[in-house]
Amino acid sequence: MLEVKSISKSFDGFKAVNNANLEVEKGEIVAVIGPNGAGKTTLFNLITGILKPDNGKVFFKGEDITGLHPYQVCRKRISRSFQIVNVFQRLTVFENVQVSVLSRQKKTWNLFTPSTKLVIKETNEILESVGLIKKKNRTTALLSHGDRKVLEIAMALGGNPEFLILDEPTAGMAPEETARCIELIKHLSEKLGLTILFCEHDMEIVFGIANRIMVMVRGATIVQGGCDEVRCNQAVQDAYLGRSDVCLM
Amino acid sequence: MDFIYTIFPPKVLSQVFVGLSRTTILFIVSSGLSLILGVLRIPNVAHGSLYMIGAFMAFTISKVFGGGDIGFWLALIGAPLGVALVSLIAERGVFQFLYEREHLMLLLLTFAFSLVFGDLVKIVWGAEYKSVPVPQVFQGFVNLFGGLPFPLYNLFLLIVGPIVAVVLWLIVNKTKIGKIARAAAVDREMVGAVGINVSWVFAIVFVIGCLLAGLGGALVAPTVSVTLGMDHTLIIEAFLIVIMGGLGNIWGALLGALIFGLSQSLGILIWSQFGIVFPYAAVIVVLLFRPTGLLKSTW
Amino acid sequence: MLQSMLRGKGLIWGYAGLIILFLLPLILPRFYIYIVSIILLTGLLATSLNLVLGYGGIFQFHHAVFYGVGAYATALMLTRTGLSPWISFIVGPIVSAALGLIMGMICIRLSKLYFAMLQISLGSLVWIIVYRWYSFTGGDDGIHGIPLPEILSSPNGAYYFTLIITLICFLIMYKIVKSPFGSALQGIRDNPVRSEMIGINVKRHQLLALIIAGFFAGVAGFLFVVVDTTVFPDMLFWTLSLEICIMCLLGGWFSFFGPMLGAAIIIVLRTFVSTFTSYWTLVLGILMMFVIFFLPNGVLGYVEEKLHKGLIEPVIKE
Repeated sequence: MLEVKSISKSFDGFKAVNNANLEVEKGEIVAVIGPNGAGKTTLFNLITGILKPDNGKVFFKGEDITGLHPYQVCRKRISRSFQIVNVFQRLTVFENVQVSVLSRQKKTWNLFTPSTKLVIKETNEILESVGLIKKKNRTTALLSHGDRKVLEIAMALGGNPEFLILDEPTAGMAPEETARCIELIKHLSEKLGLTILFCEHDMEIVFGIANRIMVMVRGATIVQGGCDEVRCNQAVQDAYLGRSDVCLM
Repeated sequence: MDFIYTIFPPKVLSQVFVGLSRTTILFIVSSGLSLILGVLRIPNVAHGSLYMIGAFMAFTISKVFGGGDIGFWLALIGAPLGVALVSLIAERGVFQFLYEREHLMLLLLTFAFSLVFGDLVKIVWGAEYKSVPVPQVFQGFVNLFGGLPFPLYNLFLLIVGPIVAVVLWLIVNKTKIGKIARAAAVDREMVGAVGINVSWVFAIVFVIGCLLAGLGGALVAPTVSVTLGMDHTLIIEAFLIVIMGGLGNIWGALLGALIFGLSQSLGILIWSQFGIVFPYAAVIVVLLFRPTGLLKSTW
Repeated sequence: MLQSMLRGKGLIWGYAGLIILFLLPLILPRFYIYIVSIILLTGLLATSLNLVLGYGGIFQFHHAVFYGVGAYATALMLTRTGLSPWISFIVGPIVSAALGLIMGMICIRLSKLYFAMLQISLGSLVWIIVYRWYSFTGGDDGIHGIPLPEILSSPNGAYYFTLIITLICFLIMYKIVKSPFGSALQGIRDNPVRSEMIGINVKRHQLLALIIAGFFAGVAGFLFVVVDTTVFPDMLFWTLSLEICIMCLLGGWFSFFGPMLGAAIIIVLRTFVSTFTSYWTLVLGILMMFVIFFLPNGVLGYVEEKLHKGLIEPVIKE
């Protein structure tokens, strides 16, 4: 469904992403792992159009989407959440998701119908499905960190995506919040049939939900394969742990 | 020397030199603004007012010492120092508490200062035009290229400009303060974390920047009538120069000042009524092709 | 029409305010009617700026240009063409909106401070042209004694006209703020990258906001012509632009009625202070410093904070 072909990006001579390749099939959950600074977020930024690649291509459903603007990428039904919480601070939880839904339905050019009368049902459904419905009238500045991360996902869902990119969805969450978030991701994959690409530091989560894993080191993708394949791969262990005498986990 | 005239008509040449002396003033003022923008991230609208205060202080000092040569040189030293003192008070009294605010707030705060300074100048010096005499040494003209009369004072300005640029470059690149300031411009928290008192570094940078505004004012005083409102157009010009050159880049300020000064003086030859339009048009063209300025900005 | 804006007690106050505004000419002497008219149209101007500044997060630092251009376009139409004055009134805002489009298209590619500076540069260019083009604009003398239709030439006529137009514009702007477009705009203000990522074409939305703001600033401009029958180049000087910013800040960026309140406070103060000192800008400057220090969310922001203690927290800067 998504295919990234030898994509590269450098900043001031530093190669953040170097000849990375990635393939994701429909319905899969694929994890990108790698040490800090391996270029995971940069890779996501390249896929979603926030950054323009120096070279390489991105294909989505066979269509070349390299160099499109983020809003155009979004309209191809690719949504993403961000690692650093990136919500609309001054709006309420409900409004955050509502803007996303309005945007998908191309209603943001409407100047005169009050927002309060539009897309109420859709927005509530999304909030219901992620479990934020009780907090919908709070300002996002008052949410807990975990709730904001979930709100991130809810906003991504507002774009009615087929393909969802999650950048460290559980980072900084309390254990019970993490558990809920994993349930949510599984639910999205199983019930809504979304294809999910995510990156994560917690290996337990990665091996718990991913179908396949891609390993990134210093901007390059070194291995892509099933969980077991990756787990005991020599190169991964060298790069990731700096030693090869133990299997991961 | 005549071959020069065959390439450039005398009229054009003399305008070039007029433009270059204007460039000196613009550069001195806007390099200070650029320094403050680059390190402290304050879009200092009050910079123009400090330039005006510098000019008025130069007038007073020159007058107290009888309007002669001694008065001029003392004014050239005293006025910038006086402005530096004013800015130090403003920085310690107000600005240091607000560094973390958004640009918009800082800009409005400095605007508030410029309103206050404007009225204070009116209270202290009154609303009449003031003039500062050109010192004896620099009265009269020199003949450039064997026949082009050029005011000696402007020649003096042309010498001062590069000196200021070099001194500023040395301060920023070779002194400890400069190195800390440059590091703070990139990452404020890092510098604080290694145990340097960032607050005082900022204060010093702010004062140096404002001192340059005062110096610009003192230098310009003998060539113009010193009056209220002389800050209004200058501050806009200085901002545009800084933006055109690249925020926080001293050489960018020099380049921007050159483009601004020359396009202004030559523009008048082309279209006397609207000559002043050309530098603004130059800024627009530059920003359309290089949205973040000609040289690398520190932001 | 007030029902959509206010609820409960606010609605009663709103109606009371409206009735008072309509009855004012019966009570107040001529000079004060003039002041109230100026407050109304300046409030309209500040609100139009807040549409892009407070709601859109765009650093529109030279908003006065659109006000001045709207006023000049109307004044020039009135003095130099034989067309019906009512057409001139429409032309002013349209010219302003067109200028908003042109300046927006040039500036929109730049971010934040660069946007602001290029905008000031372009605005100053317009100011210079107006200031220097004696034969067309009257240079720094401006244009005086602009002829108006019979019905508007009395102070009360001008007042009622200003009041009604301001109210209509206010209602329209309120609708825009509360519309999906307004929601998208606020999203863009809070987080442009996120907005792009949920499928909003950020630049286009900002451009439309700039056009709308330009249009309403133009309306304020032609209302000034109606109230004062003069135009002068200071109307598009950059210091006025920053004064309008101050009005927004003083009243409160994030509330719809804030800028109108800010305009009212500043104009009332100016009228009052100017009667016994010529150092009005000194007072304004010091007032500004206090507001920035102690009321960063403005008067209305402060009131809201007190009313919903615990519900609205100051914004956390990240």
